[in-house]
Amino acid sequence: MEKLSYDAIVIGGGLAGLMAAHEIAVNGYKVAVISKVFPTRSHSSSAEGGIAAYIEENSDPNDNPDYMSYDTIKGGDYLVDQDAAELLSMRSGEIVRIMESWGTLFNRQPDGRVAVRYFGGQTYPRTRFVGDKTGMALLHALFQRVSGLDNIDFYNEWFSLDLVRDDKRIVGVVAMEMKSMNPVFFKAKAIVMATGGMGMLYAHSTNAYINTGDGYSMALRAGAALKDPEFVQFHPTALYPSDILISEAARGEGAILINNKGERFMQRYAPKKLDLAPRDIVSRSIITEIREGRGFPGGYVGLDLRHLGEEYIKERLALAYEAALSFSGVDATKEPIPVRPAQHYYMGGIDVDITGMNSDLIGLFAAGEAACVSVHGANRLGSNSLLETLVFGRETGRAVAKFLESHTEDSNSLDNEVDKIVDDAYKYTKSESGVHFGEILNKLRNVMWDEVGIYRDEDHLKDAISQINQLREMSKTMYVTDKSKTYNTEFFNALELRNMLDLAIVIAQSALNRKESRGAHFRTDYPQRDDDNWLKHTISYLKGNTVEITYKPVRMTKWKPEPRVY
Amino acid sequence: MSDLQEQEIVVKVKRFNKEKGDWWQEYKLKVDRFTQMTEVLRRIKTEQDPTLAYRASCHMAVCGSCGMKINGEPRLACKTLALDMVKKYGKNEITLEPMDYFPVIKDLIVDWDNFYERMFKVKPRLYPSKEVLEGKAEHRLKPEDQRELWKFEQCIWCGLCVSACPSVRNDPDFLGPAAHAKGYRFLADPRDTIYEERLKILIDSSWRCTYCYQCFNVCPRDVEPVTTIKKTRAHTKFLTNKTPVANTGEKHIESIVKSIEDTGKIEEAKVYISTYGLVTTIKDMIYAMQNGKLKYALISEAKVKNIDQIRKIIGEEK
Repeated sequence: MEKLSYDAIVIGGGLAGLMAAHEIAVNGYKVAVISKVFPTRSHSSSAEGGIAAYIEENSDPNDNPDYMSYDTIKGGDYLVDQDAAELLSMRSGEIVRIMESWGTLFNRQPDGRVAVRYFGGQTYPRTRFVGDKTGMALLHALFQRVSGLDNIDFYNEWFSLDLVRDDKRIVGVVAMEMKSMNPVFFKAKAIVMATGGMGMLYAHSTNAYINTGDGYSMALRAGAALKDPEFVQFHPTALYPSDILISEAARGEGAILINNKGERFMQRYAPKKLDLAPRDIVSRSIITEIREGRGFPGGYVGLDLRHLGEEYIKERLALAYEAALSFSGVDATKEPIPVRPAQHYYMGGIDVDITGMNSDLIGLFAAGEAACVSVHGANRLGSNSLLETLVFGRETGRAVAKFLESHTEDSNSLDNEVDKIVDDAYKYTKSESGVHFGEILNKLRNVMWDEVGIYRDEDHLKDAISQINQLREMSKTMYVTDKSKTYNTEFFNALELRNMLDLAIVIAQSALNRKESRGAHFRTDYPQRDDDNWLKHTISYLKGNTVEITYKPVRMTKWKPEPRVY
Repeated sequence: MSDLQEQEIVVKVKRFNKEKGDWWQEYKLKVDRFTQMTEVLRRIKTEQDPTLAYRASCHMAVCGSCGMKINGEPRLACKTLALDMVKKYGKNEITLEPMDYFPVIKDLIVDWDNFYERMFKVKPRLYPSKEVLEGKAEHRLKPEDQRELWKFEQCIWCGLCVSACPSVRNDPDFLGPAAHAKGYRFLADPRDTIYEERLKILIDSSWRCTYCYQCFNVCPRDVEPVTTIKKTRAHTKFLTNKTPVANTGEKHIESIVKSIEDTGKIEEAKVYISTYGLVTTIKDMIYAMQNGKLKYALISEAKVKNIDQIRKIIGEEK
């Protein structure tokens, strides 16, 4: 097999990966970015609302980074590592300045400075934005910047199969060019996993089709742990049926949720906060309405903006209006927007410290949604994810450069290991008859949605685990009908499914294990937060078919847990 | 909103692989009024035919992965609702083909190398001053400049404009609409420091566009590449050492202005002569005569009434 050598490899070409690659490269090291899509097609492009930042001289005069850390910690239901939240807040202003200097066209105040707006959970307004396409603007600016650097090689539309390790270190990764199906061993002393999230595990998700959790599963198979894998965020208002996000801003401006009887049903669930209750409560309420037969055929409720008036809707809620029109054919000035909750973000991820370093494997790093730093705890605050990708992408890149300075030893020859990875990928799909990937995939997404979703309890989680195990068994004889040696997307979809199954079992088992409700993890059989027993991080390993769980304390600095009321 | 009536549609996909060549394949499935074409493709792949190959990522028209020809129109599959196409064409059969111009790799998947080469030719990134890069100075950008540039920055590299552009196909020296949109976005950015280098890259190519407006029509983000080409041409006067194409272009504009000043109309023959010179014109006239088109070139235009008012407007513009 062909072998290529780099100082470091970054897997994933979204915001976190590109920022990490930038830092490694400007420190003089040769780095490869391997992505299964062209970098600007990464899911970072879909982020809408903005990036939170405290900017000195350009923030509310009463604000300071401590308030920002506090908001983040409280929002995360105290499962946030407080040193991570402090670092995020401290670096936020600088990151926005850097992105501005690289050409990001942030919206401006009349005096030419970067503008700011309020977002949920912020004590003072901190969200910086580029219209309602902040992620797209940041991703293009960063990709354009990084594509001008000499010592970064891009391997676009290359599918990473598995990490290569020796007894304690990361040695490289085997990846396959999708066009030629040619596998290559990329040898490196350090690897940054910046592979993004996993929304495709759920039947309903606001995520891109490419978010199949590849990085989490590659790390698990290499022997690294995931931190807090049970924490999956659901957003209450995703457009039906495409699951495109309709921002919370709609309800902020006065939109109301109605069921098929025309009732404003939030009166039943949150009589004071109504439609503006926290995301998890609204999500649970909508699901209850649908399950009890008060949703519309197909399974959704209505988000009614009509009383706001046409002019107001088009001016203040432009994206909601346009998305409803383009993607659901609904004119929001004339009929309610069809919405339902959908998976939105994954708080769990590859277990790393605030430098992005994993402690299971020397040379393994992670950043962005692929990582759990853990800065979002049990529930992420809006406009903190774009910030996380850039701040921790940069921290991780710097840590890799430092790591490369001091780690010069070479590993043993691992050619057998490398061949085995390719064989495994093919073996998995070598049957001549059996089920197609699609059949297993659709079942998995429904099991995850129905039983490891917004509402959880012991019986359903146990049932989910048994079903996922059956699907894993079934997948061993999965049948790839396409025998073509060029851009065989069926083969890559099968490998994505392998990744999704490995992750699914870890999420379900970790969710069964945590016997409390905290943030996005809601157990109907344990509806209260239980700090005495569960103020700790879940650390999950996948050993064959078994999920092994240990714990890590939450790192506290200045903030004591208090009840989360708004 | 609750009208979820399903309707069966026929999707005909132009398939291709190296082993079998190309063929048309038909799929039938039920869709409702909300079903995006990316969802149609996903369902075909997971429920009927896993071998079908296509690209799709964000399904909200911001990543530019799913460009293809739908009933012959270059479109993003995610931004196209199946039943809208049925209604527009009055039949329940929808055809899907790979984008034109790009070489086909497999089914709806095309090769992007040449497109990216063109994009990178225009140095698609801001080159800020050293002070700003080092954090010693701050960029201030007027809100109106931000708005103007953001319109053109919204190009998502989806390639639809290039697939629809006849000039890019005929003229290897034309950078193409997407690259021009990107190039102009930085040419016009007051924070950029390599203006002259950008002029050298963009000006000659900008005079190779034929203003057919196909890029304008197909862009899913309303970037208006053709507008950026127009705006780029206006910078020609700042370029020293112009190429013959740029020189001719400039002459052409000047002679049009002069013709309007003189008569209030465009006198095609005169404009042609002063743009291309006498020798070329005579050669082209002979060609036109052989093809029976000379009569169109020799239409004589009478001066418009109230020419003074036109001259006054031109004077104000100048």
